[in-house]
Amino acid sequence: MNKAATQLERNRRAVRNRRIVTTIQWVLAIIVTLVAIFPIYWMVISSFKSQEEVLLLVPTFWPREFHFENYVNVLHKVNFGKYYINTIIMTAGILICQIVTGVFAAYGFSKGQFKYKNTLFLLVLGALMIPLQITFIPIYIMFAHLHLTDTYLGLILPEAVSPYYIFMLRQTFMSIDDSYIDAAKMDGLGRVGIITRVLSPMCKSTLFTVTLVTFTTGWNSYFWPKIVAKDESHRVLTVGLAKLRDTFAGQGTMNNHEIMAGAVMAVLPVIVLFFIFQKYMLSGYSKAAMK
Amino acid sequence: MRVPFCLQEVSMRKGPGVNARKLGQFQDFSCTVPALILILVFTYYPVVKLVQISFTDWNLLNDHYNYVGFKNWKWLISGSGTKYLLNSLKVTFLYSLGELCITLLGGLVLALIFNTMGKGFSVMRAIVFMPKYVAMSSAAVVFLWILNTDNGILNYFLQVLGLPRVDWLGNRHTALISILMLTGWRAIGYGMIIYLSALRGIPADYYEAANLDGASFWQKLFHITLPMLSPTTLFLFVTTFLASMKVFQSVDIMTAGGPYRSTEVFVYKIYSYAMEDFRMDRASVMALAFFVLLLIITASTMRFSNNKVNYDS
Repeated sequence: MNKAATQLERNRRAVRNRRIVTTIQWVLAIIVTLVAIFPIYWMVISSFKSQEEVLLLVPTFWPREFHFENYVNVLHKVNFGKYYINTIIMTAGILICQIVTGVFAAYGFSKGQFKYKNTLFLLVLGALMIPLQITFIPIYIMFAHLHLTDTYLGLILPEAVSPYYIFMLRQTFMSIDDSYIDAAKMDGLGRVGIITRVLSPMCKSTLFTVTLVTFTTGWNSYFWPKIVAKDESHRVLTVGLAKLRDTFAGQGTMNNHEIMAGAVMAVLPVIVLFFIFQKYMLSGYSKAAMK
Repeated sequence: MRVPFCLQEVSMRKGPGVNARKLGQFQDFSCTVPALILILVFTYYPVVKLVQISFTDWNLLNDHYNYVGFKNWKWLISGSGTKYLLNSLKVTFLYSLGELCITLLGGLVLALIFNTMGKGFSVMRAIVFMPKYVAMSSAAVVFLWILNTDNGILNYFLQVLGLPRVDWLGNRHTALISILMLTGWRAIGYGMIIYLSALRGIPADYYEAANLDGASFWQKLFHITLPMLSPTTLFLFVTTFLASMKVFQSVDIMTAGGPYRSTEVFVYKIYSYAMEDFRMDRASVMALAFFVLLLIITASTMRFSNNKVNYDS
């Protein structure tokens, strides 16, 4: 009787403790989430404010009235539309090149059989260690000689192959049993057929996830575009945005509402993608971690 | 699924001859050729070229260049360039240390907080992870605005709390911290997601056994969770460390290396020698020094990982 009572008491205490822990978890999680979302909230809110409202000494947390013309102003004052098109062309080019070179190379290094396969693959892995931040000097000199600066080709070529993409796909292709390949060969499929109609569909989700990562890194890339495309005609969004401040030179903090409008426009496509493909985007990185 | 035996038989009987097999091998090889050529041209050739440039006085403003022997290397190692090299090393390592702490420690703490199923939590997890997808350039201009001395919201909050305003980007003691705030905002969710997926992989019966033994929260944390997470920690450490060494964009947009070189990280220094001073010779020795540094870091982390990490599960 007494024993049962203490047992009951202990259970009650455990339940209460559990509840306290859960409450603390909730509170902490909400605080962290608010801090995490604040810069995004502030960017969006500021982009709708008027110039006077942005400069108020006591900031407002909701615009008094929405000034959509900030967005139009950015499009007019700088060539933001052009930057958009340039970014789309560059990202699409990088995507196509990386997918084609990556898928074929991954096939060769996983299912292919040829001499020095492993040595050549080490060459690919070694390239992971040598970033563009080291190699850009000779590449820039080379492109200047070939008149590739301020061209789309110049923006795309150094990023046309990604060792990371090859590595990830190779891992996935290796996990697929050879018998599928043999069966496809029996059916008279060539290598292109095997890659496009057997391996790629079977590894759809990895392919998709890795491609999403490639898309966002391409869209957000800054270092190389800044170096190779100095001219307005081939400037991309990320560089153009950083230059917004110089473009409105002398106005200092005065035009922060418009800079924020530009920032919103630049991140919008990726954020939309993020919410649509959240599941893949979250798993993309954890997949890389598991390898 | 295995190939039926009869089919194997057929394939053996009709098996490719020596020439056909050679052709097959060649076709397999040619699949990798485009990638290999691009890698050779845009990764390995430039490294060789860098070595060549480092022995010249290559200046983009001049039409021709001369070989000058080890002059640039002397400049870097025991000349007027040494102090810039050491400063860049110091700043870059400080930055790396900051990013590592935020990603590993912060990520782990967040993972423990967010390690609960439930609708609300999955939405909040997504929000915490989202900044990773906000382009660095957008994030940088947003943080410039938040950290603005006169109208920035952060200084307003400090003022409300009765603290003095801070000239975040204009002060050499706070400039690097400002950049780390931006980095941390983007990186912490990444650390969290990686740790979360690792936490899910720890078998529940380990904790059940510990509960039966009456283990406390901290005992479970230090004797089950952390050891089981060590491969993930190593992965995060290596990737974050190497990535953080390459920091450029936030520095370029927010501080341009200043004030007083307090944020002049390695890549920014290479960049400014090459693209602002057009001194390809100095940029090349700097870049090669950076390359050696990356190699040392990679090699030492590999060694460490072979000795120290708990891989059994």
